[in-house]
Amino acid sequence: MSATTGRSDAELRATTGRRQFLNDRDDFVAEALEGFALAHPQLVTLHRDPDFLRRAPAGRRPGKVALVAGGGSGHEPLHTGFVGVGMLDAAVPGRVFTSPTALQVAAATRAANTGAGVLHVVKNYTGDVLNFRIAAEIAADDGVEVDQVLVEDDLATDPAVTGLDDGPGRRGTAAVVVVEKVCGAAAEEGAPLADLVALGRRTAKRSRTLSIALTAPTHPGERLPSFDLPEDEVEFGVGIHGERGVGRRAFSTAADLAEQLVTPVADAIEVQRGDAVLAVVNGLGSTHPLELSVVFREVVRVLEARGVRVVRSLVGSHVTALDMAGVSVTLTPADHDLVRLWDAPARTAALTW
Amino acid sequence: MVTPPQRPPRRTTIAAPERLELLHDGTPVPPVRGGRAADLDATRVRAWWVGFSEQVRERAEELTELDRLAGDGDFGHNLRAAVRGADARLDRTRPGDVSGVFDAVTQAFLDTGGTSGPLLGMWFREFSRATGATLSTEDLAAAARAGLDTVQRLGGAQLGDKTMVDAMGPAADALQDAAHAHVPVVAALGAAYRAAADGARGTEALRARRGRASYVGDVARGVVDPGALAVAWFFERGTVV
Repeated sequence: MSATTGRSDAELRATTGRRQFLNDRDDFVAEALEGFALAHPQLVTLHRDPDFLRRAPAGRRPGKVALVAGGGSGHEPLHTGFVGVGMLDAAVPGRVFTSPTALQVAAATRAANTGAGVLHVVKNYTGDVLNFRIAAEIAADDGVEVDQVLVEDDLATDPAVTGLDDGPGRRGTAAVVVVEKVCGAAAEEGAPLADLVALGRRTAKRSRTLSIALTAPTHPGERLPSFDLPEDEVEFGVGIHGERGVGRRAFSTAADLAEQLVTPVADAIEVQRGDAVLAVVNGLGSTHPLELSVVFREVVRVLEARGVRVVRSLVGSHVTALDMAGVSVTLTPADHDLVRLWDAPARTAALTW
Repeated sequence: MVTPPQRPPRRTTIAAPERLELLHDGTPVPPVRGGRAADLDATRVRAWWVGFSEQVRERAEELTELDRLAGDGDFGHNLRAAVRGADARLDRTRPGDVSGVFDAVTQAFLDTGGTSGPLLGMWFREFSRATGATLSTEDLAAAARAGLDTVQRLGGAQLGDKTMVDAMGPAADALQDAAHAHVPVVAALGAAYRAAADGARGTEALRARRGRASYVGDVARGVVDPGALAVAWFFERGTVV
């Protein structure tokens, strides 16, 4: 109950809750895809029925292993924003927070294949894993060689933390950007499928992420967020689908909150004094770049105190959960090879250098 | 004044778990020797599919209710969307062979999200692969066995995990027996239906270990798995073509 207005919190949110730019919620993703393709005609081509985005003809490379990634919509710029030279060949978006269909993935896989095989980059969610596996089988029957890198970096859902040994395992979150970047670069250099699989799996295996939310996301066409959070608490260990995290913690300063993310992640990847890491500070949807910069400054401070150098970084909102306010921190040990592939040119809507 | 056409009486009722018992009469299927003439052609398989599709469209709420009790409540909705997609594809492509009918169904199910729809799609895909112009008991037995293997491989469920596998497995066994005994197709489908319905009914007592229902643990006890029930419905509609 608000002391000043006398209205319940629910009433307040119903009147002051999120508004969205939206025509019809059923067409929301399709219209967004159309707009994205219109905005980047030099980078992407939109394929309809089944829906997927692939590189515009100018970016296609004959004989290169193709990278195809996908998942539910609502995480933009992931994956559509990473289609282009140096990263993905095709992205397959499902409905909001829903896996793309096997038919969509199979069609994108066939379209992207140049004869050198296709690498699927998949975040660990039951629907995504199943539909990419089915698509790989169907494509294999059509003579397309397909292999998969599964990204499962979310420390909050690690069986060692949750105690669920036969559960679905760690969720796939922001480390997927690192995998798409380095595998994309290696594919551009002409690496064969088997090498890309090994590189992707090594990178995914060594990466861990932890996230905090300040507000829950609001689904398209909804006014209320998917869970309520008191003003003095944060949701710790959230995923990227508006589900509850592993626990509530006290809201605090950026320094304090960043430390709660970095320390367990650094421990989990077992970085030692003198080691180098790639650090990804990722906004979860509606966190301002200034806040992300403040968080990144704290990440560097905590790691330096441990004697760990941040040799490369990515700071921005790249793997979002609709309009969730929050941040995730991903660390990947950075060897010479990873840094070289990270630095290789990329020309996509969301990442270009 | 126009009199609406009389709906034919529904032949069986199997949706409600307690009524499943009444239908499982346990009557052995008489082994009748049937030649290739007894095999189903595309027209009859299409009629089988239409029967199943109508049943799903009319009674999706029953599946949704079961799923609401033991899962996330979207199964009936997703299955109805999938059969609608299959009907649209069949109307558009009008396949002339049995394999083509099942292929259209497969494509529609693989075009749905979630996990149950695509798994059923891969199950139907084995029916498309095992058949040609017509469908024999031997084809059915091969399809049901391969379909079971595929669903288990992709979904990871074992018998007793309270999933669609609990209907698919007994149906595959029953069809294998029917093939050995040279039972004609429609009678074999009856045996498959009884085995699948029995398996579906058996899921009532099970605690889910796979699928969405596994998240709710003991809450799902006492509820028939809607995926298993849908598989029983599918075979049931094959007995009246």
